[in-house]
Amino acid sequence: MNLRFSLRIPILVLTGFLMAAEPLHAEYLKIQLRVYGLDCGLCARGVAASVERLDGVKTVDVNIKTGLLEIELAPGNTFKMARLRKVIRENGFRSMEATVTAIGAFNASAKFEVTGSGEAYDVAQGPDKDRAPVQLTFKIQ
Amino acid sequence: MPTHREDGTNTAKGRWRLRLARLAIKIVLSVMISCVLVTSGRADGHSPVFSFSTATLGKGDASFETAMMWREGAVMFGPRVVYGVRPNLQLSFASPFHVTHGEHPTGRFTAMMPGVPEAEVLAGWRFYHATPGIGTRNEATLYFGGSATTQKLPRSDSPPLKREPAVYAALAAGRVARSYDIWAGVGYQRYGEWETGISDHQSNTLLSSLAVGWRPPFLNKGYPKPDLRLFWETTGEEVGLARLQRTPGGITPGHGHDAQSAVARPFLSTIIPPPFSGTSILRNSGGTAVFSGPSLLCTYKNFAFQGGILFSLFDQPNGYQPRENVRAALGFSYYILGRRK
Repeated sequence: MNLRFSLRIPILVLTGFLMAAEPLHAEYLKIQLRVYGLDCGLCARGVAASVERLDGVKTVDVNIKTGLLEIELAPGNTFKMARLRKVIRENGFRSMEATVTAIGAFNASAKFEVTGSGEAYDVAQGPDKDRAPVQLTFKIQ
Repeated sequence: MPTHREDGTNTAKGRWRLRLARLAIKIVLSVMISCVLVTSGRADGHSPVFSFSTATLGKGDASFETAMMWREGAVMFGPRVVYGVRPNLQLSFASPFHVTHGEHPTGRFTAMMPGVPEAEVLAGWRFYHATPGIGTRNEATLYFGGSATTQKLPRSDSPPLKREPAVYAALAAGRVARSYDIWAGVGYQRYGEWETGISDHQSNTLLSSLAVGWRPPFLNKGYPKPDLRLFWETTGEEVGLARLQRTPGGITPGHGHDAQSAVARPFLSTIIPPPFSGTSILRNSGGTAVFSGPSLLCTYKNFAFQGGILFSLFDQPNGYQPRENVRAALGFSYYILGRRK
């Protein structure tokens, strides 16, 4: 085992540690929301333009064929799902189920509370009674 | 070289500067007006060109729309501004005017655009709105508003009718989906009296429409690519008879129209009853017509382009009014989207 190879292992371990130890200040990270009623490009444009104005939104992609709205969020956001659903409603459409990736912790009532948002969800998966912040991907209605 | 003399008048150089300044102001104003006209597009939103459709703007959204509309012998230009107060309530203001005038039955040019020069304010309330699936909506909207004529239209059988207000009420319902649309609607515009004592009366109009839209699979590319839809639209209209206030001697108050000029007009005999005090019905007004034809809608980013041509299936204008074979419209719209209070 040469020196160059022997160095790779600690570097990889350190990189992994740093990635894992990345500060968990981001809350909602990614959202895939099903929207009913989007039928044309202009409707999609209106929804995308409205969502882009929400706090923390980095990118928005609308797929009219599947009705899926995909949102990526910047770290440290104060984004709220309730606000997103309101914006969809104000555009004249109906928000349905969503797949959410977020950082949060399970609260006393065993609900997964997304950090800093005040929004909590019943999530089947995840460690019960573990109060440590974790990143989860879950579905909500 | 000085631009002013001691007595305050301009020198030659001063006059040139003044002319240049005036020219610059004219150019700037022309550009500004052109920009307003170009961006204030009317094409009936993202819906059929001539037919009824439901209100679709989101809260805080606005559209600036314009359309050029052709009837045989007449060209209209129609700017319109629409604002979404709430997702189910929108307000619009339209003020079409004639570029060239033809003596057709007045009526409405499109469901959302008067057929005579008028300033019209409409409120659209989408009282029914259901989203049963992805890309599908069932909707119904009630429109109600008022208008006032802005131009006196010349008539060959009488003096121009007085400017008048009107009320307009319409009901539109439809289903939109990714691959097809269907819209139906009916509306009625009724004119009243504007000036006390002058009972001129423009033609009331009953308008109905049916539009079927289709998005061919090869055009179904999805956002953000251009979105193109084809429609087949059919409109039917019943335009009533106009009335003219007459006084003894054939003089109509406020029109500057005298008996001598009336005699010179060959079609005056078509007005019944002959000139005397009271109201005359203008037999050369109104009529019934059914038009049908294709239209196209293309939206891209914040813009919409629309065009359509309707062919006459049935046209029975009253009196000597010319028949129409074709109507056409070409529109452009710009949308302000995503703004919220």
